[in-house]
Amino acid sequence: MNELLHIEDLHASIEGKEILQGINLTIREGEIHAIMGPNGAGKSTLGAVLAGHPSYEVTQGKVVFRGKDLLSMPAEQRAREGLFLSFQYPVEIPGVSMVNFMRAALNDKRAYEGKEPIAATDFLKLMREKKQLVEMADKLNNRSVNEGFSGGEKKKNEIFQMAMLEPRLSILDEIDSGLDIDALRIVANGVNALHKEDNACLLITHYQRLLDYIVPDYIHVLANGKIVYSGGKELAKELEEKGYEWLNI
Amino acid sequence: MVEHIINSEEKRDFLFLNPQSQDLLFRQEKGSALRLFFIDYSNIEGENRFRVNVEQKGEDCRTEIYVLSFLRGRYRQHFTSRIVHAVGNGYSRQIIRYVLTDEAKGDFAGDVVLSPNAQHIDAQQSNRNLLLSNTATIRTRPCLEIYADDVKASHGSSTGQLDESALFYMQQRGLSFSEARDMLVLSFMSECIEPIADVAQREDLMHTLYSILQNA
Repeated sequence: MNELLHIEDLHASIEGKEILQGINLTIREGEIHAIMGPNGAGKSTLGAVLAGHPSYEVTQGKVVFRGKDLLSMPAEQRAREGLFLSFQYPVEIPGVSMVNFMRAALNDKRAYEGKEPIAATDFLKLMREKKQLVEMADKLNNRSVNEGFSGGEKKKNEIFQMAMLEPRLSILDEIDSGLDIDALRIVANGVNALHKEDNACLLITHYQRLLDYIVPDYIHVLANGKIVYSGGKELAKELEEKGYEWLNI
Repeated sequence: MVEHIINSEEKRDFLFLNPQSQDLLFRQEKGSALRLFFIDYSNIEGENRFRVNVEQKGEDCRTEIYVLSFLRGRYRQHFTSRIVHAVGNGYSRQIIRYVLTDEAKGDFAGDVVLSPNAQHIDAQQSNRNLLLSNTATIRTRPCLEIYADDVKASHGSSTGQLDESALFYMQQRGLSFSEARDMLVLSFMSECIEPIADVAQREDLMHTLYSILQNA
């Protein structure tokens, strides 16, 4: 399988404090990876750095995404290349409607790929179709982005946007936090339905529970800014039973 | 000073689009409804002073004031509003929005007076200011004078810059910085445009504001 993402010795800091201390990771097409680890290990930082969050400074290392130097791209170009970050806390944007926001995002991606803007009727049809994937109500169109959404609705809305944009690599940062069991099932079903041979997923999670629904090919344990252990899906059960201590971290 | 009388049960809208300095007084008779729109975006230099006085002289009056100031260049603008609720059962709303860039200066003072006879009043004033440059300044002095006891009255004022977390969220979905910024600023401005009755005029204004913003 083709390599989608290749991270080599990645170091990153925020306000002078080094959070990532030499990450190495390769993700190929068709794979699902999960990153677990104790609080403060740097899991969310890894997602934010890959997405191009301006608060983080990369101090060392390189990241290649689809054969290109990811770190030299501005955040929006990374998105248009097909990198999607589902936010742990999706941002509320009052006054900006979901329709306008998604149309702009989709058309920017299409323009980047040299395609014409999508026709209005096709766009609305696509919205309807993708909303069904996460069982979201039809009223979504007229609502402002995430404004007044419950925790579960915000997470579903992230997966809805992922479905609209069809990214090649989706980094899902604690997509399971704050979800009841029904919402978790819907979100997980959405992620599974979107998983294809030519895309990949990086799950960031605290809990093994999510991995019962979305089964990863690889699990990595992140601690103190480094991947200290990697294994197959069976590692989740082991971590659930024994915690992280047996890894001497 | 120019004086307007809004007769009993009359409903009037006034739109002031890029006006020169003005001193206005509106007197409202019983049961009248007045809506004022001040939209100021075209200047890049000079100075304008606006004074708007509204007196609710009869009961059951409604007053809405919308002020959208998009101040650029070295333009300076002063806006003073004063709504006097002289009698009871009145309603007033003020939506005051400033977007400032370059070295523009804005100065807003808003006063709402609830006289001793003005019971059962519902009065709200909301002022929000968005600074797009480090050299633009806004001075704001919202004020409530309440002499009646059975009233609902509130005011709020905030000044800030664009929400960085919203900008990053939008960029993460593929929007460029300027596209995300324009969308956020336009939605901020639209609060003063949406209530305009004429759809074509509303769309025209949003379009004009959008093209100015793109070149700002």
